[in-house]
Amino acid sequence: MKIPIHISEESREPIYHQVETQIKTLIVGGQLPPGTSLPSIRALASDLGCSVITTRRAYQNLEASGFIKTAQGKGTFVNETKNMNIEEAKDKIAYDALEKAIEQGIQVGCTEEEIRTIFREIMKNNFSQ
Amino acid sequence: MVSSLMQAKEVTKKYKRFSLGPLDMEVEPGIVIGLIGSNGSGKSTLLRVLMDVLKRDSGHIKFFGQEWHEDDVEWKQKVGYAGEILDAYGFLTVGELKDLISRWYPSWSNEQFETLVKRYKIDLKEKYRRCSKGTQKKIEFIFTLCHNPSLLLLDEPTAGVDIVSQRKMKEDLLNFMEDGEKAIVLATHTVDEINSICDEIVVLESGRIIHSFNKDEITENWARIWTSDIGENVKNHPNVIQYYSNPCQIVTNDLDTLEGIIQKEQITINHMQRLSLEEVLEFLIDN
Repeated sequence: MKIPIHISEESREPIYHQVETQIKTLIVGGQLPPGTSLPSIRALASDLGCSVITTRRAYQNLEASGFIKTAQGKGTFVNETKNMNIEEAKDKIAYDALEKAIEQGIQVGCTEEEIRTIFREIMKNNFSQ
Repeated sequence: MVSSLMQAKEVTKKYKRFSLGPLDMEVEPGIVIGLIGSNGSGKSTLLRVLMDVLKRDSGHIKFFGQEWHEDDVEWKQKVGYAGEILDAYGFLTVGELKDLISRWYPSWSNEQFETLVKRYKIDLKEKYRRCSKGTQKKIEFIFTLCHNPSLLLLDEPTAGVDIVSQRKMKEDLLNFMEDGEKAIVLATHTVDEINSICDEIVVLESGRIIHSFNKDEITENWARIWTSDIGENVKNHPNVIQYYSNPCQIVTNDLDTLEGIIQKEQITINHMQRLSLEEVLEFLIDN
């Protein structure tokens, strides 16, 4: 069983955090519905080319925040949505993505006004009827 | 508390033209260690010394928390070792070799043996000596798995093995690790195996361990950065592994430290990219 996540070559984010956020995004976005079986920490580490220490840490954090649950001997599954704070996770994911985009804008030399203009345009494209 | 499956302390073995160690090494449950290094760096010698196939000159080795007497064989029941030691029995057929080896292990599983023989399409009637190099590797690999070991010491298990069987061996090793209580030491030259199986990397050079780290430290610490400028302080910094001046490009093994230096020098970083495992391994082996 493979899940569509990958480790970024250009991000400063620790790997365990990237894995955690991407799985959270897939769960919140409904691509991984409750009850979906997740790969074992060993299988996921193998797919991502990282160590089990990293995947274990990501799974432990996801379990602590109610997104996944581990059944002894059966494996790891996506939890029932009532056990997770979806609203908070949604906010956090969107916030982080926007923050990252703005940082990139600043890095290539955009002014505040230029970034605002781009932001407004993207908002218009996505939300106007 | 997690107790280690194998622990080596100040182990040495001297030859006229090569000496191993003194070296320390520890294998913890749930972890796969990739043992890498150029040809002749001592990987096979190390595994043989650990297995007591070669007598060490000095040092201590514990398996499963205990130092064993040289007459003890109990610990070997729980270790699977593949290191091309079957050549002396090459006149036997694979089936005869199985009969011989299985008698050493009370925990031998014939059922698992049959399954693996089918999986790797091994002809039991063929003489071991007459099997191709890759097939011999597969046979040794099968033998290491059938007595329910807790620890595998594998010396280039996939060298000369066909692509499909390599994939199967990888699967079998990942399955072996699934319960998180066993461990593998894998001597290898294959980047893909290090990438998809190993958690820790130990680099040997001239019989000594020169690096030992968690694999993710590579991803987190090594990077290639493109900068606006490059000063003498940066060029000579110990964490700068390689640099080019035009355009300014630096390879570092400690991104955080180097960023601090660069900021002080008022140099800007235009772009940052992680190094691939393959690139880093080359730097480590070839320094």
